[in-house]
Amino acid sequence: MINKFFAAGLALAVIGLAPTALADEAVPAMAANAGLSLPAGFKATVFADGVGRARHMAVSPSGWVYAALMRPVKGFGAVAYHDDDGDGVADSSHYFAKGMRGTGMAIHNGHLYFSTDVSVIRWALPESGEPVSDPELIAHGFPQQRQHASKPFAFDDNGGLYVNVGAPSNSCMERMRQKGSPGMDPCPILEEFAGVWRFDADTPMQERKDATLYVTGVRNAMALDWNPYAGSLYLLQHGRDQLAEFFPEFYTVEDSAELPAEEFHKVAEGANVGWPYSYYDQRQHKRMQMPEYGGDGKKPAEREGQEPLIGFPGHWAPNDLLFRRTGTWPAHYRTGAFIAFHGSWNRAPEPQQGYRVVYVPMDAEGNITGDWETFANGFAGPGPIMSPRDAENRPTGLAEGPDGALYISSMQNDGRIYRVTYAGQ
Amino acid sequence: MPDNKHFIVAALLAATSLPALGDDDTGRALYDANCGGCHQADGGGVPMMQPALIGSERANGEKGAVIDMILFGSEIIDPGMSDYNNEMPSFSHLSDQEIAELATYVRTHFDNDGGPVGPDDVRARRR
Repeated sequence: MINKFFAAGLALAVIGLAPTALADEAVPAMAANAGLSLPAGFKATVFADGVGRARHMAVSPSGWVYAALMRPVKGFGAVAYHDDDGDGVADSSHYFAKGMRGTGMAIHNGHLYFSTDVSVIRWALPESGEPVSDPELIAHGFPQQRQHASKPFAFDDNGGLYVNVGAPSNSCMERMRQKGSPGMDPCPILEEFAGVWRFDADTPMQERKDATLYVTGVRNAMALDWNPYAGSLYLLQHGRDQLAEFFPEFYTVEDSAELPAEEFHKVAEGANVGWPYSYYDQRQHKRMQMPEYGGDGKKPAEREGQEPLIGFPGHWAPNDLLFRRTGTWPAHYRTGAFIAFHGSWNRAPEPQQGYRVVYVPMDAEGNITGDWETFANGFAGPGPIMSPRDAENRPTGLAEGPDGALYISSMQNDGRIYRVTYAGQ
Repeated sequence: MPDNKHFIVAALLAATSLPALGDDDTGRALYDANCGGCHQADGGGVPMMQPALIGSERANGEKGAVIDMILFGSEIIDPGMSDYNNEMPSFSHLSDQEIAELATYVRTHFDNDGGPVGPDDVRARRR
Protein backbone atom coordinates (compact mmCIF):
# COMPACT_ATOMS: atom_id res chain seq x y z
CA MET A 1 0.00 0.00 0.00
CA ILE A 2 2.83 2.35 0.88
CA ASN A 3 4.47 1.50 -2.43
CA LYS A 4 1.28 2.27 -4.24
CA PHE A 5 0.99 5.70 -2.66
CA PHE A 6 4.63 6.40 -3.27
CA ALA A 7 4.33 5.45 -6.92
CA ALA A 8 1.25 7.64 -7.27
CA GLY A 9 3.05 10.56 -5.64
CA LEU A 10 5.98 10.14 -7.96
CA ALA A 11 3.75 10.11 -11.02
CA LEU A 12 2.01 13.27 -9.81
CA ALA A 13 5.29 15.02 -9.33
CA VAL A 14 6.66 14.02 -12.72
CA ILE A 15 3.72 14.50 -15.02
CA GLY A 16 1.54 16.82 -12.96
CA LEU A 17 -1.70 14.92 -13.47
CA ALA A 18 -4.67 15.63 -11.26
CA PRO A 19 -5.20 12.81 -8.73
CA THR A 20 -8.49 11.78 -10.32
CA ALA A 21 -6.68 11.00 -13.58
CA LEU A 22 -4.69 8.40 -11.70
CA ALA A 23 -7.70 6.33 -10.73
CA ASP A 24 -7.21 2.60 -11.23
CA GLU A 25 -8.85 2.52 -14.64
CA ALA A 26 -6.66 5.27 -16.09
CA VAL A 27 -3.23 3.79 -15.56
CA PRO A 28 -3.62 0.38 -17.24
CA ALA A 29 -5.51 1.94 -20.16
CA MET A 30 -2.43 3.95 -20.99
CA ALA A 31 -0.20 0.88 -20.81
CA ALA A 32 0.55 -1.17 -23.89
CA ASN A 33 -1.62 -4.28 -24.24
CA ALA A 34 -3.76 -3.18 -21.31
CA GLY A 35 -0.84 -3.82 -18.98
CA LEU A 36 -0.61 -7.51 -19.93
CA SER A 37 2.45 -9.40 -21.06
CA LEU A 38 1.64 -11.69 -23.99
CA PRO A 39 3.57 -13.84 -26.48
CA ALA A 40 4.96 -12.05 -29.52
CA GLY A 41 2.30 -11.17 -32.08
CA PHE A 42 -0.58 -10.86 -29.61
CA LYS A 43 -2.34 -7.63 -28.64
CA ALA A 44 -4.77 -6.84 -25.83
CA THR A 45 -7.27 -4.11 -25.10
CA VAL A 46 -9.54 -3.44 -22.13
CA PHE A 47 -12.79 -4.40 -23.85
CA ALA A 48 -15.00 -3.26 -20.97
CA ASP A 49 -14.28 -1.68 -17.59
CA GLY A 50 -16.51 -1.25 -14.55
CA VAL A 51 -18.27 -4.51 -15.45
CA GLY A 52 -18.90 -5.63 -11.87
CA ARG A 53 -18.16 -9.12 -10.54
CA ALA A 54 -17.72 -10.67 -13.99
CA ARG A 55 -17.49 -14.46 -14.10
CA HIS A 56 -17.89 -16.74 -17.11
CA MET A 57 -18.70 -15.38 -20.57
CA ALA A 58 -20.05 -16.38 -23.96
CA VAL A 59 -19.71 -14.62 -27.33
CA SER A 60 -22.47 -14.88 -29.95
CA PRO A 61 -21.94 -15.31 -33.72
CA SER A 62 -22.73 -11.60 -34.12
CA GLY A 63 -20.01 -10.67 -31.61
CA TRP A 64 -22.13 -9.86 -28.56
CA VAL A 65 -20.25 -10.65 -25.34
CA TYR A 66 -22.40 -11.95 -22.48
CA ALA A 67 -20.94 -12.02 -18.96
CA ALA A 68 -22.42 -13.53 -15.81
CA LEU A 69 -22.18 -11.37 -12.69
CA MET A 70 -21.59 -12.99 -9.32
CA ARG A 71 -23.12 -9.95 -7.61
CA PRO A 72 -25.97 -7.98 -9.16
CA VAL A 73 -25.29 -4.64 -10.82
CA LYS A 74 -28.32 -2.35 -10.61
CA GLY A 75 -30.29 -5.47 -9.76
CA PHE A 76 -29.17 -7.45 -12.82
CA GLY A 77 -27.11 -10.66 -12.85
CA ALA A 78 -25.66 -10.50 -16.36
CA VAL A 79 -24.54 -7.98 -18.95
CA ALA A 80 -24.20 -7.86 -22.75
CA TYR A 81 -21.54 -5.81 -24.55
CA HIS A 82 -20.85 -5.00 -28.18
CA ASP A 83 -18.02 -3.26 -29.98
CA ASP A 84 -19.81 -1.27 -32.70
CA ASP A 85 -16.83 0.41 -34.35
CA GLY A 86 -14.29 -2.41 -34.23
CA ASP A 87 -11.72 -0.65 -32.04
CA GLY A 88 -11.56 -3.48 -29.50
CA VAL A 89 -13.55 -1.57 -26.90
CA ALA A 90 -17.22 -2.16 -26.14
CA ASP A 91 -19.49 0.76 -27.01
CA SER A 92 -22.68 -0.23 -25.27
CA SER A 93 -23.76 -2.32 -22.30
CA HIS A 94 -27.14 -3.91 -21.70
CA TYR A 95 -27.90 -5.48 -18.33
CA PHE A 96 -30.26 -8.47 -18.04
CA ALA A 97 -31.14 -11.43 -15.76
CA LYS A 98 -33.02 -9.17 -13.35
CA GLY A 99 -33.05 -10.28 -9.74
CA MET A 100 -30.45 -12.98 -10.33
CA ARG A 101 -26.73 -13.47 -9.94
CA GLY A 102 -24.55 -16.25 -11.24
CA THR A 103 -21.40 -17.70 -12.75
CA GLY A 104 -21.95 -19.90 -15.82
CA MET A 105 -22.60 -18.45 -19.30
CA ALA A 106 -22.49 -20.34 -22.61
CA ILE A 107 -24.22 -20.58 -25.98
CA HIS A 108 -25.66 -23.87 -27.21
CA ASN A 109 -28.13 -24.73 -29.94
CA GLY A 110 -29.44 -21.20 -30.45
CA HIS A 111 -29.80 -20.45 -26.75
CA LEU A 112 -27.92 -18.47 -24.14
CA TYR A 113 -27.45 -20.52 -20.96
CA PHE A 114 -26.79 -19.00 -17.53
CA SER A 115 -26.37 -20.56 -14.11
CA THR A 116 -27.27 -19.17 -10.71
CA ASP A 117 -26.11 -21.00 -7.57
CA VAL A 118 -29.22 -23.19 -7.68
CA SER A 119 -30.25 -23.48 -11.34
CA VAL A 120 -29.32 -23.49 -15.02
CA ILE A 121 -31.65 -21.42 -17.21
CA ARG A 122 -31.64 -20.36 -20.85
CA TRP A 123 -33.07 -17.77 -23.21
CA ALA A 124 -33.44 -17.79 -26.98
CA LEU A 125 -30.22 -16.22 -28.26
CA PRO A 126 -31.06 -12.84 -29.82
CA GLU A 127 -29.44 -11.64 -33.03
CA SER A 128 -28.21 -8.66 -31.05
CA GLY A 129 -28.48 -7.22 -27.57
CA GLU A 130 -29.71 -8.81 -24.41
CA PRO A 131 -32.16 -11.73 -24.41
CA VAL A 132 -35.81 -10.71 -24.44
CA SER A 133 -37.63 -14.05 -24.24
CA ASP A 134 -38.82 -15.46 -20.93
CA PRO A 135 -36.13 -17.63 -19.35
CA GLU A 136 -36.61 -21.40 -19.45
CA LEU A 137 -35.53 -23.53 -16.49
CA ILE A 138 -33.27 -26.40 -17.65
CA ALA A 139 -31.72 -27.78 -14.44
CA HIS A 140 -32.68 -27.24 -10.80
CA GLY A 141 -32.83 -29.00 -7.44
CA PHE A 142 -29.40 -27.87 -6.26
CA PRO A 143 -29.40 -27.09 -2.52
CA GLN A 144 -28.41 -23.58 -1.46
CA GLN A 145 -24.75 -23.66 -0.38
CA ARG A 146 -22.51 -21.32 1.58
CA GLN A 147 -19.22 -22.34 -0.03
CA HIS A 148 -18.34 -23.58 -3.52
CA ALA A 149 -21.90 -22.71 -4.49
CA SER A 150 -21.28 -21.65 -8.11
CA LYS A 151 -22.59 -23.92 -10.85
CA PRO A 152 -20.21 -23.58 -13.82
CA PHE A 153 -21.14 -25.84 -16.73
CA ALA A 154 -20.08 -27.08 -20.17
CA PHE A 155 -21.68 -28.76 -23.21
CA ASP A 156 -20.46 -31.76 -25.17
CA ASP A 157 -21.11 -32.20 -28.91
CA ASN A 158 -23.92 -34.66 -28.33
CA GLY A 159 -26.63 -32.86 -26.33
CA GLY A 160 -25.06 -33.24 -22.88
CA LEU A 161 -24.87 -30.49 -20.27
CA TYR A 162 -22.27 -30.99 -17.50
CA VAL A 163 -22.78 -29.06 -14.25
CA ASN A 164 -20.22 -28.82 -11.45
CA VAL A 165 -21.68 -29.16 -7.95
CA GLY A 166 -18.90 -28.10 -5.57
CA ALA A 167 -18.48 -29.59 -2.11
CA PRO A 168 -19.79 -27.30 0.67
CA SER A 169 -16.66 -28.32 2.55
CA ASN A 170 -12.88 -28.14 2.67
CA SER A 171 -12.05 -31.78 3.33
CA CYS A 172 -15.29 -33.34 4.60
CA MET A 173 -14.39 -32.78 8.25
CA GLU A 174 -17.01 -33.67 10.86
CA ARG A 175 -16.92 -30.07 12.10
CA MET A 176 -16.41 -27.72 9.20
CA ARG A 177 -12.87 -26.26 9.02
CA GLN A 178 -12.15 -26.93 12.70
CA LYS A 179 -8.65 -27.95 13.62
CA GLY A 180 -8.52 -31.50 14.95
CA SER A 181 -11.82 -32.59 13.45
CA PRO A 182 -11.50 -35.88 11.52
CA GLY A 183 -12.89 -36.56 8.06
CA MET A 184 -16.30 -38.24 7.86
CA ASP A 185 -15.99 -41.78 6.54
CA PRO A 186 -17.65 -42.45 4.21
CA CYS A 187 -18.01 -38.80 3.23
CA PRO A 188 -21.78 -38.17 2.91
CA ILE A 189 -21.18 -35.00 0.88
CA LEU A 190 -20.28 -37.17 -2.14
CA GLU A 191 -23.91 -38.23 -2.52
CA GLU A 192 -25.24 -34.83 -3.56
CA PHE A 193 -22.15 -32.69 -4.14
CA ALA A 194 -18.46 -32.86 -5.08
CA GLY A 195 -18.96 -34.01 -8.63
CA VAL A 196 -20.12 -33.22 -12.12
CA TRP A 197 -23.67 -34.19 -13.08
CA ARG A 198 -24.78 -34.75 -16.67
CA PHE A 199 -28.11 -33.30 -17.84
CA ASP A 200 -29.81 -33.22 -21.22
CA ALA A 201 -28.93 -29.83 -22.71
CA ASP A 202 -32.36 -29.22 -24.26
CA THR A 203 -34.84 -30.71 -21.78
CA PRO A 204 -36.60 -28.27 -19.43
CA MET A 205 -37.22 -28.79 -15.71
CA GLN A 206 -34.66 -31.50 -14.97
CA GLU A 207 -33.84 -32.12 -11.32
CA ARG A 208 -30.34 -32.83 -10.05
CA LYS A 209 -31.56 -36.03 -8.37
CA ASP A 210 -32.60 -37.43 -11.77
CA ALA A 211 -29.37 -36.41 -13.51
CA THR A 212 -26.40 -38.73 -14.08
CA LEU A 213 -23.44 -38.51 -11.72
CA TYR A 214 -20.71 -38.29 -14.37
CA VAL A 215 -17.56 -37.61 -12.29
CA THR A 216 -17.21 -37.90 -8.50
CA GLY A 217 -14.59 -36.92 -5.92
CA VAL A 218 -14.23 -33.35 -7.21
CA ARG A 219 -13.96 -30.76 -4.43
CA ASN A 220 -14.86 -27.93 -6.79
CA ALA A 221 -14.35 -27.52 -10.54
CA MET A 222 -14.85 -23.92 -11.55
CA ALA A 223 -12.97 -24.70 -14.78
CA LEU A 224 -14.49 -27.32 -17.04
CA ASP A 225 -14.87 -27.62 -20.82
CA TRP A 226 -15.48 -30.22 -23.46
CA ASN A 227 -12.42 -30.85 -25.62
CA PRO A 228 -13.97 -31.08 -29.11
CA TYR A 229 -10.78 -32.59 -30.59
CA ALA A 230 -10.30 -35.42 -28.08
CA GLY A 231 -14.06 -35.78 -27.48
CA SER A 232 -13.84 -35.67 -23.70
CA LEU A 233 -14.64 -33.54 -20.68
CA TYR A 234 -11.65 -31.89 -19.00
CA LEU A 235 -11.68 -30.06 -15.67
CA LEU A 236 -9.50 -28.53 -12.99
CA GLN A 237 -10.07 -29.19 -9.31
CA HIS A 238 -9.50 -26.53 -6.67
CA GLY A 239 -7.36 -28.27 -4.04
CA ARG A 240 -8.13 -28.08 -0.33
CA ASP A 241 -6.96 -25.26 1.97
CA GLN A 242 -5.18 -24.93 5.32
CA LEU A 243 -2.85 -27.97 5.49
CA ALA A 244 -0.33 -26.30 7.81
CA GLU A 245 -3.02 -24.53 9.82
CA PHE A 246 -4.71 -27.83 10.72
CA PHE A 247 -1.67 -30.16 10.59
CA PRO A 248 1.45 -28.22 11.59
CA GLU A 249 3.03 -31.52 12.65
CA PHE A 250 3.02 -32.73 9.02
CA TYR A 251 3.28 -29.59 6.88
CA THR A 252 5.40 -26.46 7.09
CA VAL A 253 3.92 -23.15 5.97
CA GLU A 254 6.05 -23.48 2.83
CA ASP A 255 4.56 -26.95 2.16
CA SER A 256 1.11 -25.54 2.71
CA ALA A 257 1.74 -22.71 0.25
CA GLU A 258 2.64 -25.21 -2.51
CA LEU A 259 0.27 -28.07 -1.63
CA PRO A 260 -1.94 -29.58 -2.67
CA ALA A 261 -1.77 -29.29 -6.46
CA GLU A 262 -4.52 -27.69 -8.49
CA GLU A 263 -5.32 -30.77 -10.59
CA PHE A 264 -5.92 -30.81 -14.36
CA HIS A 265 -7.88 -33.91 -15.41
CA LYS A 266 -9.30 -35.60 -18.46
CA VAL A 267 -12.45 -37.24 -17.11
CA ALA A 268 -14.49 -40.04 -18.64
CA GLU A 269 -17.89 -41.10 -17.31
CA GLY A 270 -17.41 -42.75 -13.92
CA ALA A 271 -14.10 -41.05 -13.16
CA ASN A 272 -13.16 -40.43 -9.52
CA VAL A 273 -10.82 -37.55 -8.75
CA GLY A 274 -10.23 -38.67 -5.15
CA TRP A 275 -11.59 -35.90 -2.89
CA PRO A 276 -11.85 -35.99 0.13
CA TYR A 277 -9.77 -39.10 0.76
CA SER A 278 -6.70 -37.96 -1.13
CA TYR A 279 -4.93 -35.02 -2.77
CA TYR A 280 -2.20 -34.76 -5.37
CA ASP A 281 1.36 -33.79 -4.38
CA GLN A 282 2.98 -32.32 -7.50
CA ARG A 283 6.41 -32.35 -5.84
CA GLN A 284 6.35 -36.10 -5.13
CA HIS A 285 4.27 -36.80 -8.27
CA LYS A 286 1.95 -38.93 -6.17
CA ARG A 287 -1.60 -38.99 -4.91
CA MET A 288 -1.44 -38.80 -1.11
CA GLN A 289 -3.75 -39.75 1.75
CA MET A 290 -5.65 -36.71 3.05
CA PRO A 291 -4.53 -35.91 6.62
CA GLU A 292 -8.14 -35.83 7.89
CA TYR A 293 -8.19 -39.51 6.82
CA GLY A 294 -4.92 -40.57 8.40
CA GLY A 295 -2.43 -39.05 5.98
CA ASP A 296 0.79 -37.46 7.18
CA GLY A 297 2.24 -35.86 4.06
CA LYS A 298 4.14 -39.08 3.26
CA LYS A 299 1.50 -41.79 3.12
CA PRO A 300 0.32 -42.59 -0.43
CA ALA A 301 -3.41 -42.58 -1.13
CA GLU A 302 -5.17 -45.78 -0.13
CA ARG A 303 -8.33 -45.28 -2.16
CA GLU A 304 -9.37 -44.60 -5.70
CA GLY A 305 -8.48 -41.28 -7.29
CA GLN A 306 -7.13 -40.82 -10.79
CA GLU A 307 -3.79 -39.17 -11.51
CA PRO A 308 -4.03 -35.67 -12.96
CA LEU A 309 -2.49 -34.76 -16.31
CA ILE A 310 -0.80 -31.80 -14.57
CA GLY A 311 -0.50 -30.76 -10.94
CA PHE A 312 -0.34 -26.96 -10.94
CA PRO A 313 1.07 -25.09 -7.90
CA GLY A 314 -1.22 -24.92 -4.88
CA HIS A 315 -4.02 -22.37 -4.43
CA TRP A 316 -3.70 -20.73 -7.85
CA ALA A 317 -7.48 -21.16 -8.22
CA PRO A 318 -8.26 -22.33 -11.77
CA ASN A 319 -11.52 -20.54 -12.55
CA ASP A 320 -12.09 -21.28 -16.23
CA LEU A 321 -10.96 -23.66 -18.98
CA LEU A 322 -11.28 -23.08 -22.72
CA PHE A 323 -10.56 -25.19 -25.78
CA ARG A 324 -10.60 -22.93 -28.82
CA ARG A 325 -12.91 -23.89 -31.67
CA THR A 326 -12.53 -21.27 -34.41
CA GLY A 327 -9.32 -22.66 -35.89
CA THR A 328 -7.82 -19.19 -35.83
CA TRP A 329 -4.47 -18.29 -34.23
CA PRO A 330 -1.21 -20.16 -34.91
CA ALA A 331 -1.30 -23.97 -34.93
CA HIS A 332 0.41 -24.13 -31.54
CA TYR A 333 -2.72 -22.71 -29.88
CA ARG A 334 -5.42 -24.63 -31.77
CA THR A 335 -6.09 -27.81 -29.79
CA GLY A 336 -4.68 -27.15 -26.33
CA ALA A 337 -6.17 -25.81 -23.12
CA PHE A 338 -6.34 -22.20 -21.93
CA ILE A 339 -6.75 -21.93 -18.16
CA ALA A 340 -7.62 -18.77 -16.21
CA PHE A 341 -6.07 -18.77 -12.74
CA HIS A 342 -7.78 -16.37 -10.37
CA GLY A 343 -4.75 -16.33 -8.05
CA SER A 344 -4.24 -17.44 -4.48
CA TRP A 345 -5.32 -16.13 -1.09
CA ASN A 346 -3.80 -18.76 1.18
CA ARG A 347 -0.09 -18.95 0.52
CA ALA A 348 0.77 -16.47 3.34
CA PRO A 349 3.35 -15.77 4.66
CA GLU A 350 4.67 -16.60 1.17
CA PRO A 351 3.67 -14.13 -1.59
CA GLN A 352 0.35 -14.85 -3.29
CA GLN A 353 0.63 -16.28 -6.81
CA GLY A 354 -1.11 -17.43 -9.92
CA TYR A 355 -2.92 -14.37 -11.31
CA ARG A 356 -2.51 -15.35 -14.99
CA VAL A 357 -3.81 -17.25 -18.00
CA VAL A 358 -1.77 -20.32 -18.96
CA TYR A 359 -1.74 -22.47 -22.07
CA VAL A 360 -1.26 -26.23 -22.12
CA PRO A 361 -0.11 -27.41 -25.57
CA MET A 362 -2.04 -30.52 -26.63
CA ASP A 363 -2.46 -32.48 -29.85
CA ALA A 364 -5.79 -33.32 -31.45
CA GLU A 365 -5.94 -36.61 -29.53
CA GLY A 366 -5.75 -34.72 -26.25
CA ASN A 367 -2.15 -35.66 -25.43
CA ILE A 368 -0.08 -32.99 -23.73
CA THR A 369 2.78 -32.16 -26.09
CA GLY A 370 4.92 -29.83 -23.99
CA ASP A 371 5.29 -27.95 -20.72
CA TRP A 372 2.49 -25.55 -19.82
CA GLU A 373 3.33 -21.93 -20.49
CA THR A 374 2.13 -18.57 -19.19
CA PHE A 375 0.06 -17.02 -21.97
CA ALA A 376 -1.07 -13.76 -20.33
CA ASN A 377 0.36 -12.23 -17.18
CA GLY A 378 0.45 -8.88 -15.41
CA PHE A 379 -3.19 -8.83 -14.33
CA ALA A 380 -2.28 -8.32 -10.67
CA GLY A 381 0.05 -5.38 -11.29
CA PRO A 382 3.49 -4.97 -9.76
CA GLY A 383 4.14 -7.60 -7.11
CA PRO A 384 4.90 -9.24 -4.88
CA ILE A 385 1.25 -9.60 -3.97
CA MET A 386 1.18 -10.37 -0.25
CA SER A 387 -2.60 -10.18 0.03
CA PRO A 388 -5.00 -10.86 -2.84
CA ARG A 389 -6.72 -7.52 -2.34
CA ASP A 390 -3.52 -5.87 -3.57
CA ALA A 391 -3.99 -7.51 -6.97
CA GLU A 392 -5.42 -5.00 -9.43
CA ASN A 393 -7.13 -7.62 -11.58
CA ARG A 394 -7.66 -11.38 -11.27
CA PRO A 395 -8.65 -13.53 -14.27
CA THR A 396 -11.82 -15.51 -13.78
CA GLY A 397 -13.47 -16.29 -17.14
CA LEU A 398 -12.51 -17.13 -20.74
CA ALA A 399 -14.46 -17.02 -24.00
CA GLU A 400 -13.70 -17.08 -27.70
CA GLY A 401 -15.27 -14.69 -30.21
CA PRO A 402 -16.36 -15.70 -33.72
CA ASP A 403 -13.23 -13.98 -35.10
CA GLY A 404 -11.00 -15.90 -32.68
CA ALA A 405 -10.48 -13.10 -30.15
CA LEU A 406 -9.95 -14.36 -26.60
CA TYR A 407 -11.96 -12.59 -23.90
CA ILE A 408 -10.69 -12.70 -20.31
CA SER A 409 -12.87 -11.48 -17.45
CA SER A 410 -11.71 -10.22 -14.05
CA MET A 411 -13.95 -9.55 -11.06
CA GLN A 412 -11.42 -7.73 -8.88
CA ASN A 413 -12.01 -4.06 -8.05
CA ASP A 414 -14.50 -2.68 -10.59
CA GLY A 415 -14.45 -5.73 -12.83
CA ARG A 416 -13.10 -5.81 -16.36
CA ILE A 417 -13.06 -7.76 -19.61
CA TYR A 418 -9.90 -7.94 -21.71
CA ARG A 419 -9.81 -8.81 -25.41
CA VAL A 420 -6.73 -10.54 -26.83
CA THR A 421 -6.14 -10.85 -30.58
CA TYR A 422 -3.43 -12.29 -32.77
CA ALA A 423 -1.91 -9.62 -34.98
CA GLY A 424 0.83 -11.72 -36.54
CA GLN A 425 4.56 -11.57 -36.13
CA MET B 1 -20.33 -0.96 31.40
CA PRO B 2 -17.15 0.57 32.85
CA ASP B 3 -18.05 -0.94 36.24
CA ASN B 4 -18.42 -4.36 34.73
CA LYS B 5 -15.14 -4.09 32.88
CA HIS B 6 -13.28 -2.98 35.97
CA PHE B 7 -14.76 -5.80 37.93
CA ILE B 8 -13.68 -8.40 35.35
CA VAL B 9 -10.17 -7.05 35.01
CA ALA B 10 -9.79 -6.84 38.75
CA ALA B 11 -11.16 -10.33 39.23
CA LEU B 12 -8.84 -11.76 36.61
CA LEU B 13 -5.82 -10.06 38.00
CA ALA B 14 -6.68 -11.17 41.49
CA ALA B 15 -7.79 -14.72 40.85
CA THR B 16 -5.67 -16.06 38.00
CA SER B 17 -2.42 -15.67 36.19
CA LEU B 18 -4.23 -14.97 32.92
CA PRO B 19 -3.13 -11.78 31.21
CA ALA B 20 -5.44 -8.80 31.48
CA LEU B 21 -8.20 -8.78 28.93
CA GLY B 22 -7.20 -7.00 25.76
CA ASP B 23 -3.54 -7.90 26.12
CA ASP B 24 -2.16 -7.42 22.63
CA ASP B 25 0.14 -10.44 22.53
CA THR B 26 -2.53 -12.88 23.68
CA GLY B 27 -5.10 -11.47 21.28
CA ARG B 28 -2.62 -11.48 18.42
CA ALA B 29 -1.58 -15.08 19.07
CA LEU B 30 -5.21 -16.22 19.13
CA TYR B 31 -5.91 -14.23 15.98
CA ASP B 32 -2.96 -15.74 14.12
CA ALA B 33 -3.89 -19.27 15.18
CA ASN B 34 -7.60 -19.07 14.40
CA CYS B 35 -8.43 -16.16 12.11
CA GLY B 36 -5.43 -14.89 10.16
CA GLY B 37 -5.32 -17.74 7.67
CA CYS B 38 -8.60 -16.63 6.12
CA HIS B 39 -9.00 -12.96 7.17
CA GLN B 40 -5.27 -12.47 6.42
CA ALA B 41 -2.56 -11.42 8.84
CA ASP B 42 -3.36 -7.72 8.37
CA GLY B 43 -7.12 -8.20 8.67
CA GLY B 44 -7.57 -7.17 5.06
CA GLY B 45 -9.64 -10.21 4.09
CA VAL B 46 -9.95 -11.64 0.58
CA PRO B 47 -12.25 -9.97 -1.95
CA MET B 48 -15.41 -12.02 -2.44
CA MET B 49 -14.13 -14.81 -0.19
CA GLN B 50 -13.59 -13.62 3.39
CA PRO B 51 -14.56 -10.15 4.63
CA ALA B 52 -12.01 -7.54 5.67
CA LEU B 53 -11.93 -6.80 9.39
CA ILE B 54 -10.32 -3.39 8.82
CA GLY B 55 -12.89 -0.71 9.58
CA SER B 56 -15.54 -3.41 9.70
CA GLU B 57 -19.10 -2.38 10.49
CA ARG B 58 -19.56 -5.55 12.54
CA ALA B 59 -16.36 -4.97 14.55
CA ASN B 60 -17.43 -1.41 15.37
CA GLY B 61 -20.99 -2.35 16.21
CA GLU B 62 -22.66 -4.14 19.09
CA LYS B 63 -20.53 -6.55 21.10
CA GLY B 64 -22.81 -9.45 20.29
CA ALA B 65 -22.25 -9.20 16.54
CA VAL B 66 -18.59 -10.20 16.68
CA ILE B 67 -19.14 -12.70 19.49
CA ASP B 68 -21.92 -14.43 17.53
CA MET B 69 -19.75 -14.66 14.41
CA ILE B 70 -16.98 -16.34 16.42
CA LEU B 71 -19.37 -18.60 18.33
CA PHE B 72 -21.60 -19.67 15.43
CA GLY B 73 -19.75 -18.81 12.24
CA SER B 74 -21.35 -17.69 9.00
CA GLU B 75 -24.46 -19.82 9.58
CA ILE B 76 -25.95 -16.72 11.28
CA ILE B 77 -26.19 -15.23 7.77
CA ASP B 78 -28.72 -16.67 5.33
CA PRO B 79 -27.12 -18.61 2.48
CA GLY B 80 -27.25 -16.71 -0.76
CA MET B 81 -27.39 -13.37 1.06
CA SER B 82 -23.72 -13.08 1.93
CA ASP B 83 -21.34 -11.01 -0.12
CA TYR B 84 -18.64 -13.62 0.53
CA ASN B 85 -18.15 -17.05 -0.96
CA ASN B 86 -16.41 -18.89 1.83
CA GLU B 87 -17.97 -20.32 4.95
CA MET B 88 -16.77 -19.46 8.44
CA PRO B 89 -16.78 -22.28 10.99
CA SER B 90 -17.93 -22.03 14.58
CA PHE B 91 -15.16 -21.41 17.11
CA SER B 92 -17.37 -22.33 20.06
CA HIS B 93 -14.75 -24.84 21.22
CA LEU B 94 -12.64 -21.89 22.40
CA SER B 95 -13.19 -20.77 25.99
CA ASP B 96 -15.21 -17.70 26.94
CA GLN B 97 -11.95 -16.03 27.90
CA GLU B 98 -10.31 -16.84 24.56
CA ILE B 99 -13.30 -15.65 22.55
CA ALA B 100 -13.39 -12.45 24.61
CA GLU B 101 -9.68 -11.93 23.87
CA LEU B 102 -10.27 -12.51 20.17
CA ALA B 103 -13.34 -10.30 19.94
CA THR B 104 -11.56 -7.58 21.88
CA TYR B 105 -8.53 -7.82 19.62
CA VAL B 106 -10.61 -7.50 16.46
CA ARG B 107 -12.73 -4.68 17.92
CA THR B 108 -9.69 -2.65 19.02
CA HIS B 109 -7.30 -3.28 16.12
CA PHE B 110 -7.46 -3.01 12.31
CA ASP B 111 -8.63 0.64 12.63
CA ASN B 112 -11.63 -0.50 14.68
CA ASP B 113 -12.92 1.31 17.73
CA GLY B 114 -15.62 -1.08 18.93
CA GLY B 115 -14.13 -1.48 22.40
CA PRO B 116 -13.46 -4.55 24.54
CA VAL B 117 -15.79 -7.40 25.44
CA GLY B 118 -15.54 -9.71 28.43
CA PRO B 119 -15.99 -13.44 29.06
CA ASP B 120 -19.42 -12.75 30.61
CA ASP B 121 -20.53 -11.19 27.33
CA VAL B 122 -19.48 -14.38 25.56
CA ARG B 123 -21.11 -16.68 28.12
CA ALA B 124 -24.39 -14.81 27.76
CA ARG B 125 -24.50 -15.48 24.02
CA ARG B 126 -23.74 -19.21 24.00
CA ARG B 127 -26.71 -21.38 23.13
